[in-house]
Amino acid sequence: MKISWLDTVAGLAVVGTVVRAAFFTPLEAKQGAAQKIFYIHVPSAWVAFLAFGLVAVASAAFLWLRDPRLDRFAESSAEVGVIFTSVVLITGPLWAKPIWGAYWAWWDVRLVSTLFLWFIYVSYIVLRGAIDAPEMRARYSAVLGILGALLIPFIHLSVYLFATMHPMPIVGKPSAPSLPNEMLLTLFISLTSFTLLYFAFVRSRYRYAFERDAALANAAQHA
Amino acid sequence: MQLSQTRPNMPETSSYYHVAYTVALSIYALYGISLYLRRKRLRGK
Repeated sequence: MKISWLDTVAGLAVVGTVVRAAFFTPLEAKQGAAQKIFYIHVPSAWVAFLAFGLVAVASAAFLWLRDPRLDRFAESSAEVGVIFTSVVLITGPLWAKPIWGAYWAWWDVRLVSTLFLWFIYVSYIVLRGAIDAPEMRARYSAVLGILGALLIPFIHLSVYLFATMHPMPIVGKPSAPSLPNEMLLTLFISLTSFTLLYFAFVRSRYRYAFERDAALANAAQHA
Repeated sequence: MQLSQTRPNMPETSSYYHVAYTVALSIYALYGISLYLRRKRLRGK
């Protein structure tokens, strides 16, 4: 089985990002090396939101059009989103400990709601595994996929709505980014490479789902 | 965030950075390998 060009480009882009972040991006004045976790944590969070947002879009489109390709895409994007959210939930505490003094704070709404988002999409995967009938599985999981994504704007806005240890946005805000140009460039490179990695993973996962469904249909025909 | 004009003397924070990068990249690499193996196993059936 051949490795696709997208897999190769995404892999090289991520390696390039890590090299740039580690060796060619200056240290931050107050946080030192720990701040470099930013270049993995923030792009992983962006991709997780993108992945679950696209699950909701594909799920809504499935409920309307009943096209199994949309269900397969939602299934693939949800699984990849869970992987990226897992990285967010691991790298966040590793950044928080040296800077905030604690790995976790249950009163921090952004932390806890991100954990809830992870639980919802893990449940989505478990639900899919628990229902054998394809049509029912697709419908039920589409509803859960849409409802889960409603947490995304809430997580994004949580820093405005609640007291939290997370800082206010430093890039995605109406005024100019409060980040030096060298760091901003590394962040944009990182966002691009992790987005490419998302598409490479989803493409591969979708192909797996397609081949699995084709094998099941083939087996049913010969039964 | 501000750039450091001098090299900050905070060696204790670099271990968190190394662990975070190692764990994150390992997760992505293992997931990529698992996708490859799942498809390969499916085709082998």
